[in-house]
Amino acid sequence: MRKIYLTSVLLLALSFAATAQRAKSVILVYLDGGPSQTETFDPKPDTSRDYYGSYKGVAKTNVEGIEIGEKLPLLATIADKYSLIRSMTHGSNAHETGHYTMITGDASGGAVVYPSYGAVISYMKRDTYKGVLPCYISVTSANSRFNEGGFLGNEYKSFDTGGRPEKEVYEVEGIVNKFVDSTALSRRMALLEEFETLPMDKQKIDSLRAINMEFIWGQSREVFDLANEPDSVRQRYGMTRIGQSCLTARRLVEAGVPFVNVRTTGWDTHKKHFQFMNSMLPNLDKALSALISDLDARGLLDSTIVLCGGEFGRTPKVMWEAPWNGGRGHFGAAFSYLVAGGGFVGGKVVGKTNKTGEKVAERPVYPCDLIGTVYLLMGIDPYGTLPHVSMGELPILPSLLNSEQSNGLLYEIIDIKKGDYER
Amino acid sequence: MRRFLVLIVCISSVAMCRVVSAQCSDEVFLRRAYLAVTGSLPTAQTCERFLDDDNFNKRERLVSRLVNSELSFKYMQMHWGDILRIKSEFPSNLWPNGVQAYNRWIYEQLMNNVPYDKMVRELLLSEGSNFRSPAVNFYRGFQQRTPENFYKNINLLFLGNRDCRDNGHLCFSQVRFKSTKEWKEEIIYLDYHKKVYYTQIELEDGTTLTPQQDSDWREVYVNWLTSSRNRRFAEVMVNRMWYWIFGRGIVHEPDDWREDNRPSDPQLLAELTDYFISSKFDMRKLLKKILLTDEFESEAAPAGYYTPQRLPAEVIVDALATVTGIWDTYSSRVPEPFTFYPPRTRATHLGDATVSSTELELFGKVSRDVSLEAQRNNEISSRQLLYLMNSSVLEQRIRKSGVLKKICEQNPTLEQLTDAITLRVLSRRATDSEKRLYKEYMEQNGLSLRDLALDMVWVQINSNEFLYNH
Repeated sequence: MRKIYLTSVLLLALSFAATAQRAKSVILVYLDGGPSQTETFDPKPDTSRDYYGSYKGVAKTNVEGIEIGEKLPLLATIADKYSLIRSMTHGSNAHETGHYTMITGDASGGAVVYPSYGAVISYMKRDTYKGVLPCYISVTSANSRFNEGGFLGNEYKSFDTGGRPEKEVYEVEGIVNKFVDSTALSRRMALLEEFETLPMDKQKIDSLRAINMEFIWGQSREVFDLANEPDSVRQRYGMTRIGQSCLTARRLVEAGVPFVNVRTTGWDTHKKHFQFMNSMLPNLDKALSALISDLDARGLLDSTIVLCGGEFGRTPKVMWEAPWNGGRGHFGAAFSYLVAGGGFVGGKVVGKTNKTGEKVAERPVYPCDLIGTVYLLMGIDPYGTLPHVSMGELPILPSLLNSEQSNGLLYEIIDIKKGDYER
Repeated sequence: MRRFLVLIVCISSVAMCRVVSAQCSDEVFLRRAYLAVTGSLPTAQTCERFLDDDNFNKRERLVSRLVNSELSFKYMQMHWGDILRIKSEFPSNLWPNGVQAYNRWIYEQLMNNVPYDKMVRELLLSEGSNFRSPAVNFYRGFQQRTPENFYKNINLLFLGNRDCRDNGHLCFSQVRFKSTKEWKEEIIYLDYHKKVYYTQIELEDGTTLTPQQDSDWREVYVNWLTSSRNRRFAEVMVNRMWYWIFGRGIVHEPDDWREDNRPSDPQLLAELTDYFISSKFDMRKLLKKILLTDEFESEAAPAGYYTPQRLPAEVIVDALATVTGIWDTYSSRVPEPFTFYPPRTRATHLGDATVSSTELELFGKVSRDVSLEAQRNNEISSRQLLYLMNSSVLEQRIRKSGVLKKICEQNPTLEQLTDAITLRVLSRRATDSEKRLYKEYMEQNGLSLRDLALDMVWVQINSNEFLYNH
């Protein structure tokens, strides 16, 4: 009896993996610090200066009835390519817990530290992904506020490229070294070979070094060399940190990398909020719209999930009082995320906030609902398990089983029918 | 003759089921002891002085000096911080002031060589403000502050027990928390009004505890725990110290004591435990004793008693900083605005797992999420090797190194250069064959002395001899 049960579970799992996968890669454009939903994806033009500040209008999109922030005119022209979640919520107003929740899907406060979804995907693809490039890459660095590897360990953490993609030379850590050319490195390697006297782990280390040489001089070097792109393409993304990071992400996905985290900072706008928005949003608009259209034009959008958002949103009410003098605080009660590609349909809006944006009015979406949906589209069972070093198998998304922390996967905006995979 | 003696020792050791190989050289011993006890490299001068010292007991004198050094207290503080999960932010959430006070408290215990039983008593029986009675931070560092979680952690830390099944947690059910108006200050106090509904708590080993009305119930448990009759309490610490030094416990994992996980050398464990108890839980004496065992002095071999270990992340990072003379700067992101650590702060001394750097993350700094020793992963990875091989950040540090510049500016001969660098990076003088190797290399490639120096540093920091404590 038990055997039959196990076999059927196994079959179910196999059929799951075979049929549910829509996406091969994920690009997370992470706006670290907490971007304001009001100026981006959930504008409130009908409120007063207390809420809308110096902004007046909206950008009407190419989809009837969807409006976004007025500083995002380029994204407004391609709203049919993405959907918006306007009812993200987790209630945490602290960077570290908000970040933890948005990047793991686990409600903070539990006894176990979960891995980020980049690490989970990296773990799940460990046998099937054969690329030379790491499985999970951060352009240019991951947020190190908690251990991204969680209980899976360091092995699955992201590879941080370091360097600056918008500079003339993008010095990718360990790959592009402006001081040492191939002759010098080969010379050094030969000397090391003769010098090395202690035999510890020799075989392993030798083979890892050989892989690294391939990594340094092989295809990966080409992938990170943005000079290979036509100038017009580089300009379209914008010659900014976020622009060239998004371009790098596209090139990495083309090369088959399963998870790319484009992390940009500076969204924690407690003061001078509107000045910051005026300078940052055009760069985001350019970069993100170029990324989505470019992926689409290359036929990659169907197999690539693009996500954009941060650890939380910002207070809908402007803090005009001193010392903020026109800032917005942390706000985890109701904020927005953009999702596109890889099985996510475009031109839809999920959820709604109330008139002032201070409350979720319809269809709350919890972090695990979003991340569970990403797992589903990546062919990973959102109700599956992960191994813990001392606690055995743990659910991959424990919150998904808790009605206070989950409101169900986002079937309304993906091309997989509810019921096919629901447990 | 020496070989013959070694053979006899080997044969007799096999008979005693202990594999002890030949004694390691002075160079190896010095570097090994420095790294194990202080987490730092000896300076070039220290190396020369030790190597040229003719005293027969120089190893013992070195060990005495090391275990009494500030660097040792600071490094042991890091080990304690790992298992007590000292961290400002998620998931311990002790916050910077609490972290600072807690670290200071541990440092003082180690500096004053407070006996282990007394230290644990103070830790577990603490009450008051987390700023003024720092040990109470023990009770704060849990996402779920429940008696069950406190008790589980105490079992893991002090008894190596991963799976406690008795209801000793009742002894911790009076612990309460109260915040004050000060940012992140908390008062830990006991609720004496809680009624005793049970008169007896039976522990797994059959001991019965009897908590009294109007008293701190933790006390009956802690009395039992730290008693010298509770041999397991002493054994776990002895084994943990052994693990800290050798990277492998006599019982392994060091926090997984079970019936079916036996010590690899019961006699050794028994001897050390007897010694620890009879010394009244003197941790410094225990450390010294371990450092003077045949095992610690034996030559490294894959299957021998001393197995080489890759250096921990913090130690590698500090070693790279020592070699180049260029140190990373560390800062804390909470509370805003960011607070910067003083320049040249050692990574081993940071005391807060929230504070990190790219280099530390790369080499696997412990994130202090759990109290298990196994959370530290010292496995060498391709990314770490990639960084050492070809990072422009690291290369720039070598090129900018004032230390290297100074060595080169003195117009050294090839021999002097080789010795100066090898002493600094590998804590020994260069061998004759190495000197020949470098000379050939320089001539073949037509390098200047300065270029040779850069390549020499590169080769040495990429060698196993640097990356491992061997």
